[in-house]
Amino acid sequence: MRPQMTVERQLALLCSPAVLFTIVMIAFPVGYSVWLSFQAFSLGGGSTFNGGENYVRMVEDPEFWNGLRVTFVLYAISLVAQLAIGTYLAILLNASKRMVGFLRSALLSPFVMPPVVVGMMWIVILDPAIGVANYVLQSLGLPPSEWLASPRWVIATVALVDTWQWSPFVALIVLGGLQSLPGSVYEAAEVDGVSRWAVFRYITLPLLAPTLLTAAILRSVDLLRFFDIIYITTGGGPGNASNTLNIYGFRVGFEFFEIGYACALMVTLSTIVLGAVLLITKGRNMIDW
Amino acid sequence: MSETWIRRLNAFQLLLVIALILLPIVWMVVSSFKPSAQVTAYPPTLIFTPVLDNYRQLFSTTPFGSYLVNSIVITVGSTLLGLLFGVPGAFATSWSRVNWPATVTLAARMAPGALFLLPWYIMFRTFGMIGSYSAMILAHAVITMPVIIWVMLPYFDNVPRSVLESAQVDGCHVPEILWRIALPMVLPGLVVSSILAFVFSWNYFLFALILTNQSTKTLIAASFNFIGEGATYWGALMAAATIIAIPPIILAFVVQRWLVSGLVMGAVKG
Repeated sequence: MRPQMTVERQLALLCSPAVLFTIVMIAFPVGYSVWLSFQAFSLGGGSTFNGGENYVRMVEDPEFWNGLRVTFVLYAISLVAQLAIGTYLAILLNASKRMVGFLRSALLSPFVMPPVVVGMMWIVILDPAIGVANYVLQSLGLPPSEWLASPRWVIATVALVDTWQWSPFVALIVLGGLQSLPGSVYEAAEVDGVSRWAVFRYITLPLLAPTLLTAAILRSVDLLRFFDIIYITTGGGPGNASNTLNIYGFRVGFEFFEIGYACALMVTLSTIVLGAVLLITKGRNMIDW
Repeated sequence: MSETWIRRLNAFQLLLVIALILLPIVWMVVSSFKPSAQVTAYPPTLIFTPVLDNYRQLFSTTPFGSYLVNSIVITVGSTLLGLLFGVPGAFATSWSRVNWPATVTLAARMAPGALFLLPWYIMFRTFGMIGSYSAMILAHAVITMPVIIWVMLPYFDNVPRSVLESAQVDGCHVPEILWRIALPMVLPGLVVSSILAFVFSWNYFLFALILTNQSTKTLIAASFNFIGEGATYWGALMAAATIIAIPPIILAFVVQRWLVSGLVMGAVKG
């Protein structure tokens, strides 16, 4: 009889393709990016260590600071809007008795659509000259907007599109949270004659906080790396009005082929995302009861 | 206010929000069936005879069919590769309770795509793989494998340990236990994770921009190029958008109970 491998060995063997793949395609590239961010790299030309020069350049680059500003403005507007609308929608859904199945299905559509489709759809709807959005505004007696073509409004417009796409997702997460809240608390509040607003403010909201923070983590990860919809609709423009850090880094890498500098930008952005996630996770763990 | 009125007000608000969510999608689908002159008409028209012109134009003036094939090859390929690596990985992780490989895969969910794409570009370029299916399948497996691992983990955790241990006493090897005993017990998880992986891979935008060429271009990358070609083809643009949106929407309905937890993946434990 062959000597049998230990269970641990066999498990390690089963896990090895996934581990190997993770090392080659995820861990190594991350390490390689960090290494490249300290190099002057040219395709076909090889690379030389240039200390922290890429990072020095970044700190002195006004486009970097613009990207940082655009990223955080877009992040703040979108996160607040999505958490607020998502919670509002979840409360409406939770109170509704009929058609819950249909309504839930309807809510899925925006966030399972490919970003390219979302982008194409809104380009057509928001066209300043012949889009239906301006037609609706004018029918209501409001002035038309330049939407994505306006340097002043482009961030708000992108936030609007992202909020359209992801508020339903937040709503479904919050709905899950609402449905797991203990009913007894509400019965007690009802007996005591507490107002609806007070119930929401002092009972529902605190109990929902961990769920809201989970939603905030997920949205933060996507919003801080905002790329797809902007790249598809404006390419970072008009001018640099929607040039998020992620868009800027991508263009530095694949349009200007300054790989080392692009990696420095991407490493910085990844650090920001990781920092935000750790911060919110810590907050959630502190209040999780 | 009486209870009835509150309920009516609630229903009214709900319908309003749902309408706001669905109307843009309806507008896209409706526009794709408009005669091309009416797509760009202003003020927009609502009454028209639906035609398939835009769809015909799409397939006759662009290699839309071959883009579709590319998308299917890459999506199916990366889903299968994700299953091949991810399912044994999730099983071993669940059994051994060694979590770090699963945690490392979350980096793929958190880091900006270009953090990977820049080194991959150099790697694939070195091996002459830019523009190949294999480069795209490998890249998209970075999306699919973590989804599959994280969706499968709780399913494997629910397989009673006694079942695994008694099979082990009977002299089964671990791979046999996975194949013959555990897998049949987690079939629903397998279906859900495959569908989620398929949807995520189908939708993924960034990698195809850089890693495909004219002959391996996916629907997503091709549509991005259509946008640059301008407003004259709005009808065809909306037809393309509608076709691309159909598979993920249908599949999402199928797995809707699990969809949100699939997207939340890892964030709760993290």
